[in-house]
Amino acid sequence: MMASSYNAKDEDGHITVSGPGGGTLRSKKPENTAFKQQRLPAWQPILTAGTVLPAFFIIGLIFIPIGIGLYVTSNNIKEFEIDYTGVDMSSPCFNCSQNFSWNSTRPCTCTIPFYLDQPYESNVFMYYGLSNFYQNHRRYVKSRDDSQLNGDTESLTKPSKECEPYAFHENKPIAPCGAIANSMFNDTLELFYNNPNGTKSEIPLTTTGIAWWTDKHVKFRNPGGNNPNLTAVFQGTTKPVNWHRPVYELDTDAENNGFINEDFIVWMRTAALPTFRKLYRIIQKKNNMVPTLPRGNYTLEVVYNYPVRSFEGRKRMILSTISWMGGKNPFLGIAYITVGSVCFFLGVVLLIIHHKYGNRNNSADISN
Amino acid sequence: MTWRSPLALMRDALRGQRAREKDLRNLVSNLPYEGLEKAKQPNRHFPSNAIKTTKYTLLLFIPMNLFEQFHRLANIYFVGLAILNFIPVVNAFQPEVALIPICVILSLTALKDAWEDFRRYQSDRKLNNTPCLIYSKEKQFMERRWKDVRVGDFVKVVCNEIVPADLLLLHTSDPNSVCHIETANLDGETNLKQRTVVSGLLFEPESFSGIVVCEKPNNNLNHFKCYEKPDKERAGAGIESLLLRGCTVRNTDHAVGFVVYAHETKSMLNNNGPRYKRSKLERKLNIDVIFCVILLFTMCLVGALPPYLVPDSSGHLDSPSLSGFYMFFTLIILLQILIPISLYVSIELVKIGQIFFVTNDTDLFDEETDSRIQCKALNITEDLGQIEYVFSDKTGTLTENKMVFRRCSIMGTEYPHKENIRLAVLGEPESEEEVIFDQRPQSLQTGWSLDAEDTNPRDTTQRRGSRHRSKVTGIAQSDVAFSSPLETEVIPDKKLLQQISRAESSSGSRKTDPYLDFFLALAICNTVVVSMATAQRRRSDNLRYEAESPDEAALVYAAKAYGFILLARTPDSVTVRLPSGEDLVFKVLDTLTFDSNRKRMSVLVQHPITKEYVLYTKGADYAIMELLGTPYAQHHLDCYAKEGLRTLCVTKKVVSAKVYESWSVDRQRALAAIDNKEELIMDTAVQLETNLSLLATGIEDRLQENVPDTIMALREAGIQVWVLTGDKPETAVNIGYACRLLEEEDLIALVIDGRTLTMALSPDLQERFVDLAKRCRSVLCCRVTPLQKSRVVKVIREKLKVMTLAVDGANDVNMIQAADIGIGISGQEGMQAVMASDFAISRFRHLKKLLLVHGHWCYTRLANMIIYFFYKNVQAYVNLLFWYQFFCGFSGTAMIDYWLMIFFNLFFTSAPPIMFGIMDKDVSAEVLLGVPELYRIGQGAGEYKFSTFWVSILDAFYQSLVCFFIPYLAYQDSDIDIFTFGTPLNTISLFTILLHLSIEIKAWTVVHWVIMLGSVALYFVVTLAYSAICVTCNPPSNPYWILQSQMADPMFYLICLISTVVALLPYTFHVMRNSITPSPIVQARHLDRLDHSEREQWIKEWRSF
Repeated sequence: MMASSYNAKDEDGHITVSGPGGGTLRSKKPENTAFKQQRLPAWQPILTAGTVLPAFFIIGLIFIPIGIGLYVTSNNIKEFEIDYTGVDMSSPCFNCSQNFSWNSTRPCTCTIPFYLDQPYESNVFMYYGLSNFYQNHRRYVKSRDDSQLNGDTESLTKPSKECEPYAFHENKPIAPCGAIANSMFNDTLELFYNNPNGTKSEIPLTTTGIAWWTDKHVKFRNPGGNNPNLTAVFQGTTKPVNWHRPVYELDTDAENNGFINEDFIVWMRTAALPTFRKLYRIIQKKNNMVPTLPRGNYTLEVVYNYPVRSFEGRKRMILSTISWMGGKNPFLGIAYITVGSVCFFLGVVLLIIHHKYGNRNNSADISN
Repeated sequence: MTWRSPLALMRDALRGQRAREKDLRNLVSNLPYEGLEKAKQPNRHFPSNAIKTTKYTLLLFIPMNLFEQFHRLANIYFVGLAILNFIPVVNAFQPEVALIPICVILSLTALKDAWEDFRRYQSDRKLNNTPCLIYSKEKQFMERRWKDVRVGDFVKVVCNEIVPADLLLLHTSDPNSVCHIETANLDGETNLKQRTVVSGLLFEPESFSGIVVCEKPNNNLNHFKCYEKPDKERAGAGIESLLLRGCTVRNTDHAVGFVVYAHETKSMLNNNGPRYKRSKLERKLNIDVIFCVILLFTMCLVGALPPYLVPDSSGHLDSPSLSGFYMFFTLIILLQILIPISLYVSIELVKIGQIFFVTNDTDLFDEETDSRIQCKALNITEDLGQIEYVFSDKTGTLTENKMVFRRCSIMGTEYPHKENIRLAVLGEPESEEEVIFDQRPQSLQTGWSLDAEDTNPRDTTQRRGSRHRSKVTGIAQSDVAFSSPLETEVIPDKKLLQQISRAESSSGSRKTDPYLDFFLALAICNTVVVSMATAQRRRSDNLRYEAESPDEAALVYAAKAYGFILLARTPDSVTVRLPSGEDLVFKVLDTLTFDSNRKRMSVLVQHPITKEYVLYTKGADYAIMELLGTPYAQHHLDCYAKEGLRTLCVTKKVVSAKVYESWSVDRQRALAAIDNKEELIMDTAVQLETNLSLLATGIEDRLQENVPDTIMALREAGIQVWVLTGDKPETAVNIGYACRLLEEEDLIALVIDGRTLTMALSPDLQERFVDLAKRCRSVLCCRVTPLQKSRVVKVIREKLKVMTLAVDGANDVNMIQAADIGIGISGQEGMQAVMASDFAISRFRHLKKLLLVHGHWCYTRLANMIIYFFYKNVQAYVNLLFWYQFFCGFSGTAMIDYWLMIFFNLFFTSAPPIMFGIMDKDVSAEVLLGVPELYRIGQGAGEYKFSTFWVSILDAFYQSLVCFFIPYLAYQDSDIDIFTFGTPLNTISLFTILLHLSIEIKAWTVVHWVIMLGSVALYFVVTLAYSAICVTCNPPSNPYWILQSQMADPMFYLICLISTVVALLPYTFHVMRNSITPSPIVQARHLDRLDHSEREQWIKEWRSF
């Protein structure tokens, strides 16, 4: 063990050699300081009913309003969710989900009508949601090469071995490599508003601004610096096995192409839980006069590319407005209200205890 | 060096090995061989005097240190895990990263070891380069270094110099061929000891052609055997001619010796390094670590099972059984922190801190001897808080071991020396004592005939007993300096003085009067050294006596008071000045030194006038009585004992010339013997010590200050105090009363003597004896041998399964080592107990604060810290990670960056528990001392119970559930990513852990605030910096800008706040318990908050019940 000694003489049997007639005159008396004598001034709280009472009431008084605030905010968030996996025979996407094949060149499309019973006023966020998809599986999570995604040219041609078995295809390095990139969500969702007159008008969806700013501008970089010719930059690499298009054809906009394509970036930020949603598009508010999404009938057009039925997964499309607390989730509000009330109740209990036993403390006897 | 065949070298090495291992060594002088090559040196096989206490060498430090460290199971476990991580199918982290914690631990330990070793190296070098004088071919002493000293050299040591190696003394500057040494460096004894030149040898280095035959080196400081063969005749020499390495030469200009042991010196062999004892708490801790291992395996099994139960749940690539098998190991790597790697390191740091505070306590410092408490065993501080039985010796432990001559009985007449008593009483303000005392002499003055003693002994002793007691308490309350003149000054008894002057005038030159003999015996029969430093001009009032035991000094001073002044002592003669002013020089024929078997010592002298051979013997009463024809003056002895005096008997025997002649031949043979030397010497001593005639004395050994108070406090603290002493029952009982071990109203007290104890400890009676002793309030064992003492301790310790502590002030090494904790009191004689002890204190009263305050603190601090550590490791990460496995397909994903995980345990949460273990103060020292009952908390199972461990584990489980599931529910079905999800978990975990500790901390000082707030600040600063810098540094984790974005989100704070509050909510039960049924500690803490006077008042009030 790490035993060390305060007395060198005992430890080593060393003899203290001092001069003739030796012996120092300095006393060995320990210093009489507050620290060494363990007498530093100290605050000594004792947790009794009397002393913690106020804390409980304060917690109660703070938590309940916060809880109410959170609950109201959450309730004000409008959210609409539609499952388009196509499990049921009745579902419009049933055929697409059944006839899925990786090699099919002709995309399968399905159209899902839905009705919004209330208008969405502010910006509306459009998510796709996946269930029973373990994006957080350890071997999945590590199957990526961050330096490749950061624009490192060496990693572009020699992807990390963490990407295996999705590092090379036909002796060409895969860009972007790894299982995460390979499994990127590739359904296309389009939203149409069914005008009362029977015509459909497409709702404009913004594709940028959905990823973290830091991801888009720092973490993810295209190789070759600002070279606009991505085709040349990605020369010598091959597309992920499951992809239909190479990475440099994800978008026509140069600012949203290659590794800095926001759909790609969003996908690469692996979800924490097996049921998750990812931001797909933003429906910008046009002006204050018209709601972003008025009440009425809508059509969701899906280009069904992404198979989930093999692992009993589900796909959803979610429309949601957001507030300062993010998406709709009543849990936190309820939790705050509950905890606040419990604390308040405990405060009352402690008050009773304090009244009953509080005065006894000083006269209590210690012996038994 | 010339070339020699390897074979020859090997042969030489083997020969050297044999020479070293032989029971007897033949040594010759190096002088004739000086300058020759090494192979021709006769003493080449014996190691040189250079010492090397370093454990490592510069080149081999790393392998040797690693080898050393891997003796610890925990280290092997963690290295095993790190290696496991290199196997791709099971690894949980980057393999290299997994090595970090174990590397940090190993390198910190190595750094500490290296520093300690460097210190050792420095002091070695200093010591090895100390100059000394060695005789060389140039026919003079040349200055060399200690490391150059070799076996067979002649070394000269001058006054006040330290002896460099074990030397056989051949020559001194002293005309009487003696050399005085001080052995303070070896055993702490500061009195001078005399060493004599080997008899029958002429010292001339050049012509020293003999062979010195000595035994194999051993570590016995008080024993040495050797003889020389100059020609045919043997000259024996023992320890009295050996100068041990480390001793200082005093009062002698110079001395020359022949080096018999270099490097293998007795002092080096004696030093075994620090003791390692395992404390009770640590033994319990190890059981809990095993539970942790079981828990870990259970959790990993739970994690490994799903592939069997839910096949294809997340697309496993391997067969279910294989993947389950892999998963098991992955989870072990992931959840390894459950076995607290840092716990052992932290415990050691805490103990070092605790020892620092214990040694720095001014209350445990003794001004008189300028000594602090010494902690020799470093890892049993917490045992001090759990003691249930204290076994104490009497002499030098409860008492001062400063002896004062009190009374004597000569030829059946008792001389009470009442003036002496008066002197003692005078110092006290109480007059009542004097009244009692005044009444007494009447009965005494009537002549103390044995009959009168018999008629009313109970009465007188009772009264004397009470006088004695009150006197002691009187002293205890006033801070009387104990080095008052009382110790050395004896006021002669008038009656006795008259007797002496009468005897002197009547007997004329014959001087055979028993009174004169008595005082001559006192002056002669001892081994007291007359110190020359203060007595250069031989002025009698300047004499300083250096005695090996304080009673010898007391007797010499007593003789001096009566005018029999010991002027000088050489091995061959003793000079005594008689009251008449005449100096008598007695020729000392032999000294039969004291040993613990005989319990007596004798001096054989030739009277200068009568030319008679006279043997004076002095010893413990029972050791002498068996040698006497008739039980003479036994009543006086009993009476002395009842007064608590230590009794010594002095005898005289005239030996005829013929007897002496024949005896001395035997004696000489015995001295030169190597085998059974001790027995032979003892036999010869016993042969002579027969048919003695008696003279008796009584000596008082005063109680140390505050002994009764300390014993009272220990008993109130629930500690059983046993006194084990070699004294007579009467003495023991009296001391028992004096130190309040026995009290008048005590009905159940057990006093048992050595012989009965032997029977009681026999296997068939042991159980019943222990049972009886358990019921007794106090136990006093008298007339017990050191061996019995240790047996008593062992029996109690094993039968009752209690924590025992043994205190001793002299030489009872056995008892000290038999107990869980051995405490030595550095007193007047014999430092062996101190050398063998775990803690060395200078006064008995220090025991009170050491146990009641430091023991309590050390125990509660460490116990609470260990519990907290288990809690912390289970709560943080292990369980959070475990719950997360349910949501990541039991794949072993960590949602927290591995670097941050390492930092979390290594930096963010490591300092607070260590500070807690070193500095927390549940109750102040004043209250702990005022209410000794608080000590009972630590006894038995104490605070660290089996249930405590499980309650804290359950609490940790609850908290981890809260810390995981509140954020989980709040972030359910959102777009949160893995590491963003981990950040609030990590933060909540930190806050819960620190706040949990904050609630446990009983006293907040500046240090606490700094460390607690510092830990939080460190967490945020380091994590923010790491999140800002690490873009792609640690794949696959993705810490970049996560904490920053989280801290910009109000949800983060709201989740942290509620989780922390809910996690700590169960403390409400704690609060309610504190209010409804407060534990003694809580009450004591209430007491602590009162101001000083109010508290005193309260304690006093409470005391009076």
